[in-house]
Amino acid sequence: METADLSQHISRRFNEDLERVRAQVLNMGGFVEQQLAKAVSALVEGDSTLGEAVARDDFQVNKMEVSIDEECSRILATRAPAAGDLRLIVAIIKAITDLERMGDECEKIGYIASRLAAQERPADKYREVKHLGRVVQNLVHDSLDAFARMDPEAALRVARQDRLVDEEYEAIQRQSITFMMEDPRAIRRVIDVMWVVRALERIGDHAKNICEYVIFMVHGKDVRHVKLEDVETELRKRGSQA
Amino acid sequence: MLRNPFEDWGFALWRVALVAGAGVLVGLFVGHVWWGIVAALALELARQLANLHNLLDWLRHRNRRDPPDSGGLWGDMVSLVSRLHRRKQFHKQRILRLFRELRRSTASMPDGVVALNAAREILWFNRKAVELLGLRRKTDYGIAVASLVRVPEFASYLEKGNFGNSLRVRPRIGEGTCLEFQVMPYGEGQLFLLVRDVTRQEQLETMRKDFVANASHELRSPLTVIAGYLETLALDGELPADLRMPILEMRRQSERMTAIVADLLELSRLEANDEQVIGQPIDVAALLAVLRKDLVTRDGARHDVTLSIDSPDGLMGDPGLIHSAFWNLVDNAAKYTPAGGAIALRWWTDGDGGHFSVSDSGPGIAAEHLPRLTERFYRVDPGRARDTGGSGLGLAIGRHVLQRHGGELKIESIEGRGSTFTCHFPHLRLVIESVALAADTRYSPA
Repeated sequence: METADLSQHISRRFNEDLERVRAQVLNMGGFVEQQLAKAVSALVEGDSTLGEAVARDDFQVNKMEVSIDEECSRILATRAPAAGDLRLIVAIIKAITDLERMGDECEKIGYIASRLAAQERPADKYREVKHLGRVVQNLVHDSLDAFARMDPEAALRVARQDRLVDEEYEAIQRQSITFMMEDPRAIRRVIDVMWVVRALERIGDHAKNICEYVIFMVHGKDVRHVKLEDVETELRKRGSQA
Repeated sequence: MLRNPFEDWGFALWRVALVAGAGVLVGLFVGHVWWGIVAALALELARQLANLHNLLDWLRHRNRRDPPDSGGLWGDMVSLVSRLHRRKQFHKQRILRLFRELRRSTASMPDGVVALNAAREILWFNRKAVELLGLRRKTDYGIAVASLVRVPEFASYLEKGNFGNSLRVRPRIGEGTCLEFQVMPYGEGQLFLLVRDVTRQEQLETMRKDFVANASHELRSPLTVIAGYLETLALDGELPADLRMPILEMRRQSERMTAIVADLLELSRLEANDEQVIGQPIDVAALLAVLRKDLVTRDGARHDVTLSIDSPDGLMGDPGLIHSAFWNLVDNAAKYTPAGGAIALRWWTDGDGGHFSVSDSGPGIAAEHLPRLTERFYRVDPGRARDTGGSGLGLAIGRHVLQRHGGELKIESIEGRGSTFTCHFPHLRLVIESVALAADTRYSPA
């Protein structure tokens, strides 16, 4: 009787630990989302103060990564989790690395935005960047939602959208080359914008990674470097078996 | 239709006796009395077991089957159970109906409603919350709300647990949508979260602020011209005597208008940005000494102005904003305190942070005015106050400056005795002077 109580007590504490660290990851995700939105907005609106603020606040993302990492190590050492719990911890350790990289990309965008704010803005008012930014923001948001809900189907859906980002990236790249050929004086600015677009594309990739961790976490199947169609048929097969 | 249970018990006992008697008779007939009794009782037992089986069977599938038709005690039991069952069904239906009504009525609410447990996990939410927060039915129950509504301000609002104020955030920067969150605790640590879409309100407020800013900006240039000519005219020695008075009055009023416009511009600049000022270290003692000197230079010995600096600590903030906030308080005190009164300025620090207070021996302010005092253009006594030449914006500016430094403006007043305006700054804002001093002494040889 007593031992049963004790084991339940321990597992409850363990669950609380897991829940807390998961909430911390999503908290960090929320902060990164905000950094991304601010960075894009700083560029599009030409707000140098906001851009600087984004670049300055990146240290908070790093701090969160370190603290979550420590918490995960502590859980691994003291609780020795197995199966699903272990997968959750592994997925979290990987996801925070991706989130931290996203933060770095946001810092880069913020820095470039504050530099570009001093210059004349192009005629199209960064319409393409704004659009790509919106797509990437949605991608990050949906991937974190899938993480919060542990929803592998949603994760797969989101991961598939990464292709949109890649296409958009290609299109902007081609357009930028035309700009540079038309007006060589704009080359410097266009290169800066290219950096921003590249950073956004990278953020999209990191969001996709997070989706893959969600699938790994729920199904215990590593879906990195696998075609999404194959993943889908695999998951469907598992679903029908269950 | 329950029969008297005692009769039934009696009947059951008689029945057992009868069965046993029949067994004796049959036993006598066959020649083995005891075997007869055993066989008869075994039959009776089998009958009872069969009844029990029927009852159990019915209880397991009572929603689909009619109750078994067995007499005696078993029949009583069946009718009792089925009565209990019917009553429970009835209550369940009633609760279900009530719940459905409740759900339908909350669905029609214009605000999003989310019920949270003590761990801030989602228990339940209505349709509007789905729309505003992007929640999903079924999958989202039991998930921590801050994991789905991942706005950093919202997370810290929930964590702080100070639910007196509502929280306004733009969940997606660069877009217009603005949400207002209000939390109401209930039960044992549970929370009720109201979400409202205040985008339209927010837009109207922005429009109003923009209008004030633009209007005051546009008024400034013509005013400068008028004030300039009036000044030249007033200094003109050949001015006819009958024009002197009006021109001097016009000059005074134009100066007042310029001051109002300047204050309006400053206020709209302050309101345009809600973010906390980072600023730089300010030497409060030096700032206050300058303020006191300015006041004495302007008003001469009209008041007895005392200054007490009880702490060497400084303040992190925007020097221009802090100066204007402090000056507005000092200026106010000077304006409303009659000649010969006393004004005391004080700066001190304690465990709660830093405090700057201005106390005067003026006429004081009635309690009913205190909450509205920091509103723009609010006048305690419209007839009298205008003579003093204030713009009516000083306290509004002061309040905004303090807000942007994480501080608060508190006003205490006793009618006829005087008022005290106190600026409270959080501990984080202090630049502790004594740390440097303490460090010096700590390592000196004892």
